[in-house]
Amino acid sequence: MIGLIIFIFLIGLVLRFPIAFALGLACLVYVLSEGIPLIVLPMKMYSGIDVFVLLSIPGFILAGNLMNHGGLTAKIISFCNHLLGHIRGGLSLANIGASMLFAGISGTAVSDTASIGSVMIPAMKKEGYDEGFSCAVTAASSTVGPIIPPSVPMIIAATLGGLSVGKLFLAGAVPGFLLGIGLSAVAYYISVKRNYPKHERSTLTQIFKSFVETFWSLLMTFIILYGIIGGIFTPTEASIIAVLYAYVIGQFVYKKLSFRKVQVVILDSMKTSASLMVLVGFANLFGWILITERLPQLVSSEILGFTTNKYLVLLLINLLLIFVGTFMETIAALLILFPILLKVAVTVGVDPIHFSVIAVLNLIIGLTTPPVGVCLFVASSIGKTSIAKVSKASLPFLAVSLIVLALVTLIPQISLFLPGLFAE
Amino acid sequence: MIKKTLGRFLKYGTLISTYCLIASVLLQIFARFFLTNTPPWTEEASRLFFIYAIAFSAGLALKNEAYVYLDVFYDKLSPKIQKGVLWAVRFLTFILFGLMACYALIFTKNGLSETSASIPMPMAVSFFSMFILAASVSFYAYLDLKKSLK
Repeated sequence: MIGLIIFIFLIGLVLRFPIAFALGLACLVYVLSEGIPLIVLPMKMYSGIDVFVLLSIPGFILAGNLMNHGGLTAKIISFCNHLLGHIRGGLSLANIGASMLFAGISGTAVSDTASIGSVMIPAMKKEGYDEGFSCAVTAASSTVGPIIPPSVPMIIAATLGGLSVGKLFLAGAVPGFLLGIGLSAVAYYISVKRNYPKHERSTLTQIFKSFVETFWSLLMTFIILYGIIGGIFTPTEASIIAVLYAYVIGQFVYKKLSFRKVQVVILDSMKTSASLMVLVGFANLFGWILITERLPQLVSSEILGFTTNKYLVLLLINLLLIFVGTFMETIAALLILFPILLKVAVTVGVDPIHFSVIAVLNLIIGLTTPPVGVCLFVASSIGKTSIAKVSKASLPFLAVSLIVLALVTLIPQISLFLPGLFAE
Repeated sequence: MIKKTLGRFLKYGTLISTYCLIASVLLQIFARFFLTNTPPWTEEASRLFFIYAIAFSAGLALKNEAYVYLDVFYDKLSPKIQKGVLWAVRFLTFILFGLMACYALIFTKNGLSETSASIPMPMAVSFFSMFILAASVSFYAYLDLKKSLK
């Protein structure tokens, strides 16, 4: 029976069903065929969404969108340009730097690709950068967003695994910076090799002035992290404080928000949140079916029957997650696979926080894995370039991402150092 | 007419629920720092407004194609097959959420006898959000279906 519902789900995906609905349809077939009362549909949807920590997801999405509409993206890019523009290939480095700073606000990779890409890709093309390279840098750097806190996938992982959101946010910080530095090194190497342009060095006054303009947005990340880690706010409260802060900054400091604009931003943010929450609701039902069918135990015993070597198990999980991440949206893949794989990982002695970072990193890398990485598609459509060209140009960045993944997998301290430090 | 009225109802429902959600979480924070007692109902109220905000915006999300899907394989199909597939997707979405809406009413009815933990109201009020969610998605799937038949 479980084979049939997975088959229906996959057919649904192939036929362009929204992922949430494909999952819902597969569940409906199971419920009907097993003679389970259909009331389970709204019941499980409700209990899946009725979780206090999930309130932080629309909060962070709304705060990010308010900041974005408040004119923040341009200011972050300008600051990074002042800081890194004088280095060979400065625009590509500014692109990565902006993604790292933007990461503290957006929390999703696709929105990062779209908002930074719409400014950076045309600018890079105009200065003579290869269009495939411009799109590939943008797509690759956007994967830093969901690793550096605040991160929507980390909140989902924390909810599914019963883990601390604050600890997971901290655990993602070092891997996120490692990824950013690795991507910058590749971009710099390629830029020097191809002799891409560099700008004149900005004066200290220009850099300072630009920093002051960006400061307010950077402060938001600090408030969120300090609030959660310092035990002042819960993640949900921190997200709402971020909304209030983003509104005040956008309205009174940057003066780019109006009442009408705020309403549009709220509606857009809630639509995005609703599409995620319907997925969460159906995934709750799907998870219940998997448990009823004892699938987690089955997968666990199959993998552990094959090997109990911690590193071999992690290698198998990494391969599976990258493959799935290439085809499936991060949150959907996380909701379906994370609870099953977490059980396996914990059985072989992997720390749940460490495993959560590995899982999110894997799925995020999948967003830029050719040929179906979503971020590659978004970047190629902004750059009006063929996906084949962007895919080819993204290979060196993908290699670095995989090296970072290997490091994070093999050295747990990369993820566990900061949570351990703050726990003390 | 129905389309326009429902669209407005969902839009204002989303906005009001979101504003209330923000206000109740802010009240919770304010009470913890500045009042001697934190009202016990703020967390439950926040969850209620959150669920309603999601329920109101789920249909609008379908209308604006906010749900994520995979079009790599779909794009490789011929236009004629694509049309058929799209029709099937809309039809099955309508059936799925239509059925869910019907059972959401029974779910709501069951909630009449249960009382919320910290707010003096029946759980049916919260459970009714599932009907709004399912019915609105089903309605927009029906409109899409009707459009694709023309």
